[in-house]
Amino acid sequence: MAKKKQVLYPVLFMVLLTAAYTFILAFINESTIEIIEAQEELRLQKSILYVFDIPFEDDQATVNKLFNEQLEEVNSEEMTYYVYENNGTVDGYAFPLTGNGLWGSISGYIALSPDFETLLGIDFVSHSETPGLGGRIDEEAFKEQFRELDASGNPPVVYRPASGGNVDAITGATLTSNSVSTIVNNFMTNIKIFAEEENLYE
Amino acid sequence: MNEIIRVFKAGIYKDNPVFRQILGICSSLAVTNLLLNSLVMGIGLIFVTAFSSFTVSLLRTKTPKHIRMMVQTLIISAYVIILDLFLKAYMPSMSKALGPYVGLIITNCIIMGRAEAFAQKNKPLISFFDGFIMGVGYTAVLLFIAFFRELLGFGSLFGIQILGESWVKWTLMIMPPGAFFMLGIVIWATYGLFPHEDTEKAGVKS
Repeated sequence: MAKKKQVLYPVLFMVLLTAAYTFILAFINESTIEIIEAQEELRLQKSILYVFDIPFEDDQATVNKLFNEQLEEVNSEEMTYYVYENNGTVDGYAFPLTGNGLWGSISGYIALSPDFETLLGIDFVSHSETPGLGGRIDEEAFKEQFRELDASGNPPVVYRPASGGNVDAITGATLTSNSVSTIVNNFMTNIKIFAEEENLYE
Repeated sequence: MNEIIRVFKAGIYKDNPVFRQILGICSSLAVTNLLLNSLVMGIGLIFVTAFSSFTVSLLRTKTPKHIRMMVQTLIISAYVIILDLFLKAYMPSMSKALGPYVGLIITNCIIMGRAEAFAQKNKPLISFFDGFIMGVGYTAVLLFIAFFRELLGFGSLFGIQILGESWVKWTLMIMPPGAFFMLGIVIWATYGLFPHEDTEKAGVKS
């Protein structure tokens, strides 16, 4: 007869150890959850301020204050968007932007003028493009090209040197660049329908 | 004292986890395109290896032999989650840069390797030190690789431009193949550089 293995002790041991660690992790999770949420909120707020080209200082209190003063959050059925108002007139809208990149999905925010014909700015919150190549969509030089960009053409974003080109693509990252223009162009088509539905044209 | 020196030598070069044991290769290829990422990854691994070795060693006499792997995995994952939460709360930009690799520390063979090979048979304090030193050995190799990859690929060190505008960036260095080349060079160079205690013994593969 084979040597009988203990049964009760290992089970009890594992249960106790798991319980102990679960307790520790739950405690740490509970004590950091607020900080993590605040950090994520801050990142979103910075991103929105950036797309509207509102200058801000990089500390939590000022960003929060500025954001609450200048922007209004609107929750519609389809998405949450942000309205930038100055003295009663709407200066622009910011919408979440998502689509497929080369390696994974790219998401970020995009701001448009009230007539939906001009891009005010773009920011990418998360992507998994190749660092140093497609990852350069994060760089100011690329993002700044979308500031005050006339998007009334069809399609709105065209890379130079094609005729009617208005933006420079990233060298060595053709596929990522194409993904970005596709995402923006698709977005522009969809957002006009969305704006009609929400009665944002006025 | 002798034991401390022996563990130290093993972790740094004699039995270095990366170029001798060829463990933790996945993460050393993935995060070494920037020095800062490598440093944070290294510190994270030092933390997890040291504490999980310590805990495994502490429980070694109580742990039933046939469920020890399960216990080790549980211990390691708990420390990885703690690290992940810490980074998210206090270093959000780092957490974003390292992305999924923080969670993947749990699959790093170095940690389980040390738990099985060392912590299971030794006292808690020396196990803690062994985990710590193995982590340091891993970090040192990561930083060495990242130094060349960042310098040649971006022309910078820790994000500070060193080589100036005229430097033609080696895109290859930033991409995954650059890491393979660098790692290969490191393994080749260290093979001749450090003495082998036992050349007959087959290496452990991850």
